[in-house]
Amino acid sequence: MAKEFSVPPVVFPSSAGNPNVPHQRRPPGAAPMPPFQPPRPSNSGPANPSIPFMSFDIGSTPASSSFSAPVFASSSGGGGSLSVSGSFEDEPPLLEELGINTRQIWRKTLSILNPLRVNANLHEDGDLSGPFLFLMAFGLFQLLAGKFHFGIILGWVIVAALFLYVVFNMLAGRNGNLDLYRCVSLVGYCMLPMVIFSALSLFVPHGGVVIFTMAAAFVLWSTRVCTALLVELASCGDEHRGLIAYACLLVYMLFSLLIIF
Amino acid sequence: MYNNLGNQAGPTGMQGPTGNPQPSPFGNAFYGAGSGLIRGGLGAYGERFLGSSSEFMQSNISKYFSNPQYYFQVNDQYVRNKLKVILFPFLHRGHWTRITEPVGGRLSYKPPIFDINAPDLYIPFMAFATYIILAGFSFGLEGKFTPEALSIQFTRGLAGWFMQVLLLKGLLYSLGGVEAPLLDMVAYGGYTFTGLSLTMLARLCWSSSYYVVMVSTSFLMGVFLLKTMKRVLFTEMRSYEKHSSRQHYLLLFMVIAQFPLFWWLGKIRAG
Repeated sequence: MAKEFSVPPVVFPSSAGNPNVPHQRRPPGAAPMPPFQPPRPSNSGPANPSIPFMSFDIGSTPASSSFSAPVFASSSGGGGSLSVSGSFEDEPPLLEELGINTRQIWRKTLSILNPLRVNANLHEDGDLSGPFLFLMAFGLFQLLAGKFHFGIILGWVIVAALFLYVVFNMLAGRNGNLDLYRCVSLVGYCMLPMVIFSALSLFVPHGGVVIFTMAAAFVLWSTRVCTALLVELASCGDEHRGLIAYACLLVYMLFSLLIIF
Repeated sequence: MYNNLGNQAGPTGMQGPTGNPQPSPFGNAFYGAGSGLIRGGLGAYGERFLGSSSEFMQSNISKYFSNPQYYFQVNDQYVRNKLKVILFPFLHRGHWTRITEPVGGRLSYKPPIFDINAPDLYIPFMAFATYIILAGFSFGLEGKFTPEALSIQFTRGLAGWFMQVLLLKGLLYSLGGVEAPLLDMVAYGGYTFTGLSLTMLARLCWSSSYYVVMVSTSFLMGVFLLKTMKRVLFTEMRSYEKHSSRQHYLLLFMVIAQFPLFWWLGKIRAG
């Protein structure tokens, strides 16, 4: 039914109504709306001439205040949803709203790719979206190898990050200032060599010498980058570099187990 | 050393040795040395969950968990030497007693950096993780690796650690109520994982060496525990109870119990 009808301008009874409820409105002139509750101006009765098909009422309760507030929100800056009140251009873009700085993620990724020199300034503020991407990619490559490990990867990353957090803070003593968010971020970013390894392991015969040597190389790469970042970012890690390196080695060997076997 | 910092404020400012029921020397150092983890974690939880009874909880925490940060004051050299002591206790030429220092009117033991005989928690944690990873490799090389099997082995390892701690604690209680901090016993119990990891590594390299290495490492671990527990007992017990035969039989039992424990922990089963 391509019945076009004029969509009335939406007038919200209270603009501070319910900003958490996202609303979806199509632009005027689009396909006919699916049947949901259209808005009612606050002073309308049941026979509003601008919305001809709307005829239900909920008994004796007053019309508008009971359902216009929960269904439609005022134009809060819900990212990505169209609002009709004209502040669309003022809203920040979605990724910025979510705090995903793609350029920074890319730069951080590139910095991990060099195992010999580590740029710790980029990793000052942790973020979880880069690690999330890496873990999804890791899971996807494992899936290509026939192993469904998404939940296991997530669980093991959390356990590994907790382990590193506890060990680092205990070793560093009073002055250890690694916080868990940054620890998870670092562990996730340094997972990049493991992701590359899992991609390459798809082409290598299972159980041969090649895969073990590759595992050794990639685990050492991950460990080196992770240790360097941990020691530079959080204070008082320097005198315990070997001890922290062994802890990182254990963490990444755990993930290499998932890839090899 | 850490006791000196007892004036730094813990979350509710409860300090000092008053009301500390345990004669352990470092029970009161819990609040002073807090790293961010302890201060932020346990202290915050104490306030948040128990509110006005946080004093009760903190005094009880200090009874059971005497300052975990003490056990992590290690460095490379300590770790290397301690591994030598654990794995080859016959080669340890010096004495086995811990060095004490009078701090703030109480005798406390020196931290592990300064004293090779002090227990630490870094080596047990790393040894346990190494044991898990080597178990994973063993699974994989037999073709039986699944992540669930690894989790089960983790739980089994934790159970083994717990049994070892029970054994040591039981030994102490049955020989006259000697008070020693729980974390000490956790540390001594966790040292078995170093020998166990060595066993599993040997099995990975050359499978027929497994039984020889296992028997020898469990025996050596028994010797290490024997010497350590003897020292713990001797420093705390009254003099008329030393050299009792009951003590010797119980210590012998502890050494013999190492063999089945090692065998059980070393078994890699797919189930």
